[in-house]
Amino acid sequence: MAEEGVATVGAAEKVIHTYPLIRHSDMSEEMRVEAMELSVTACEKYSQNNELAARMVKESMDKKFGPAFHVVVGESYGFEITYECTTICYMYFGGNQAICIWKCS
Amino acid sequence: MAPKKQKETSSKSRGNLAEDEALDWLKPRTLLVPEDQEEVPEAELDEEVVRILTTINPQWVADEVAYHYGLNKFVVKPKPSFGKAYPLYIYQGTAIRKDSDEAKAQIAAGYGKVGFDDAGPKRVKVKKSAAELEEEEEPEAEAPPTEETKEEDAADEEKPKEGGEGKEEATADDAAADEQTEAVADEGAEEQAPEDAEGQETHDEEVIEIKPRVKKLANQFNFCERAALTYNYPKRSVDTQTVPPPRANFGATCLQCIIFDFYQEDYARKQREKEEEKPKRLRKKTAKHVKSAQQIHDEQLAQRIREAWTILERLVNQNIYDEIAQDYRYWDDPSDEFREGMGSLLPLWKFQFEPMRSHAVCDVQWNPHYQDLFAVAYGSLDFTQQQKEGCLCLYSIKNPAFPEYSVITESPIICLDVYKETPYLICIGRYDGNVCVYNAQLTLESSHQYKSDSVRDKHSNIVWEIKWGARMIDGEASFFSISGDGRVVQWAVMPGELQATTIITLHSSVPPIPGPDGTLLTVNSCGSCICFHPEKADIFMVGTEDGMIHTCSLKYNRNYVRSVQGHHMPVYRIHYNHYNNSIYASCSGDWRVKIWEDGRDEPLFMFELGSPVGDVKWAPYSSTVFAACTADGKVYVYDLNVNKYRPICVQAVVSKKSKKLTRIDFNPKLPVVVCGDTKGTCHVVKLSPNLRVMCRPPKKAQVVDQRTLQVMKLDKLLSLVRDPPFQTGVVDEKFDDD
Repeated sequence: MAEEGVATVGAAEKVIHTYPLIRHSDMSEEMRVEAMELSVTACEKYSQNNELAARMVKESMDKKFGPAFHVVVGESYGFEITYECTTICYMYFGGNQAICIWKCS
Repeated sequence: MAPKKQKETSSKSRGNLAEDEALDWLKPRTLLVPEDQEEVPEAELDEEVVRILTTINPQWVADEVAYHYGLNKFVVKPKPSFGKAYPLYIYQGTAIRKDSDEAKAQIAAGYGKVGFDDAGPKRVKVKKSAAELEEEEEPEAEAPPTEETKEEDAADEEKPKEGGEGKEEATADDAAADEQTEAVADEGAEEQAPEDAEGQETHDEEVIEIKPRVKKLANQFNFCERAALTYNYPKRSVDTQTVPPPRANFGATCLQCIIFDFYQEDYARKQREKEEEKPKRLRKKTAKHVKSAQQIHDEQLAQRIREAWTILERLVNQNIYDEIAQDYRYWDDPSDEFREGMGSLLPLWKFQFEPMRSHAVCDVQWNPHYQDLFAVAYGSLDFTQQQKEGCLCLYSIKNPAFPEYSVITESPIICLDVYKETPYLICIGRYDGNVCVYNAQLTLESSHQYKSDSVRDKHSNIVWEIKWGARMIDGEASFFSISGDGRVVQWAVMPGELQATTIITLHSSVPPIPGPDGTLLTVNSCGSCICFHPEKADIFMVGTEDGMIHTCSLKYNRNYVRSVQGHHMPVYRIHYNHYNNSIYASCSGDWRVKIWEDGRDEPLFMFELGSPVGDVKWAPYSSTVFAACTADGKVYVYDLNVNKYRPICVQAVVSKKSKKLTRIDFNPKLPVVVCGDTKGTCHVVKLSPNLRVMCRPPKKAQVVDQRTLQVMKLDKLLSLVRDPPFQTGVVDEKFDDD
């Protein structure tokens, strides 16, 4: 995994990890690494604005791997999607954000 | 109505007309006089001119004549048949009367868009034609129909001509009118004539049929129909459907709590992985102990059961071997009182391990801590028929039936040593040159705790002897091994591995021999035993296969401190006296046991035993007793204090024919000796009292302890044997400062 950021919050023993963590993914290795790095960059750059972060990720993924990518960035949502096989990546980042990237044309 | 009213209203106010522009048309108009108008006096203007209108066209010329050059006279010009009408424009149309002959002929031929009238029944037509026939009978001339049609056409053609002429010559109207009427009359006659013929024809034709045909009227001269069709290539329809990329569904909920939990799990997993990266050797040990609660419970249960079984087994064994057990402890051969200077060995038990029946006992050693435990190394000394595996067994006297601990190894074990500090660590040297350390505390499933690297660090020949040494500077345990490749290697027990350091390479006095590639190879002499000085941990003695005994030091890795040609055959054992550090014994395959003193080139004592001596050991309870075992199955016990030349006990422990005794060891606490033979059996024998004569303290000083007494005894003996050492021993001389 990438860098591990440990921030002690409040009283004893409460540790928040902020490193990117893949929850579910069936992308190829190269695509997954690319998606992870991209979303980390985007979330750090647009930490206030999820929409811009999602837009950045989506446009980059479209350019690199083909059109019809969908990106959801948020902190609290549920979803049920249909995706083309080997193109989904659902990951956590920053301890409270979840990013879901999938391709479906 | 409205405009009239408006008029009335406006007439009332005529005076305002000039002002009102909307009623422009009511204003009296002033005459506009053109400029070029002739000026006529008003009187003439007012004059009334009378005009009379008649029907006579003054312009029209009744008879117009023109000079006919052919006839050379003036001829009346035929006038067009318009009467007095003046043709302004004549256009020859293509319309013909429906009931004319030509029309009928065309219809019959199939031309013409027929209107409603013609769709009528046939009889009406017939009647009509009959009426026409009646009319046609009146006219005078009959001409052939074809000519008449032509004439008619000609007449038609003349019409426009005449019309044109009529246009031009407007003055000849009257004459033209008469001519026209005549022409008309002629034409009428002409028309009637062809009509007559046609009527006959149509009459005939109409009897046959008249079909209304919907077809565009187009004559055959100006219109022709042509049709063409391009070649239509045959068409084929091809379709295909690509397989869409496979799709799958996925759903999840993303909440702060879920994210947090997942991170915690992942973190815990990573911690576990980090632990697993530790060296596997250590982890193996700990891994055995990382078990689930259920497993721990099971194990505890099994442990208790095992303990119970152990006790039960021992009970059973002691019941079986009750007499022997009693003897082992309490029996002293009473006949020794009568045999002065002679002792005997009482055979007690035989220890065997079933899978190792064909192996030879290569080394035995009592455990320094437990007096009933001894370790046995099973290997093979038969070089022609090597065994494939060896075994390390720990036997307890309390259970003669089965070893307490046994481990099968990959290659025969030739030597072993039990670590005095931690008696559960046993290091072994193997036939294949590897050394291992076994931990008897670990469960039997685990193999060696440490093993030398088979590729790099092992000896290239059999490891003949192995001995634990002093702890190293960093506190690690270390042991030394000597092998047939001529190296003495010190092994440091590092966590997870053994680190080897070559202490010394035994070089022989044989000059370098040329090797296969022309270089000179130095020949190493093969070491066969090693023994450390009890006090000075740096000094050790090495015996070689060519009989040399070298005194070496850890500090000197090139030269020996001292070398003595002790034997003619390989030295099998060098053993220091427990009470005097400069006395040591050596035995070899040349049937001899020699007692040496440090510093002397000649042995103090030499005994010839009649067959290759496998092992010699000093007794731990006496400074002058030692035992040796030979290849003919006998154990020789000597007490130098009693008899300097002859053994005080010679006893065959095993039958000479099949077995040879290989090793022997004294129990440090009890008067028991274990010896191993070549058939995998260990014999435990008890020393009779004569063999273990203790010193009695002199009457003067009763409190002197046994050890001092023993030392004194030995000194006294030595002084009898040789002159007191006028030169200090090599060891003391050179390493006094250590």
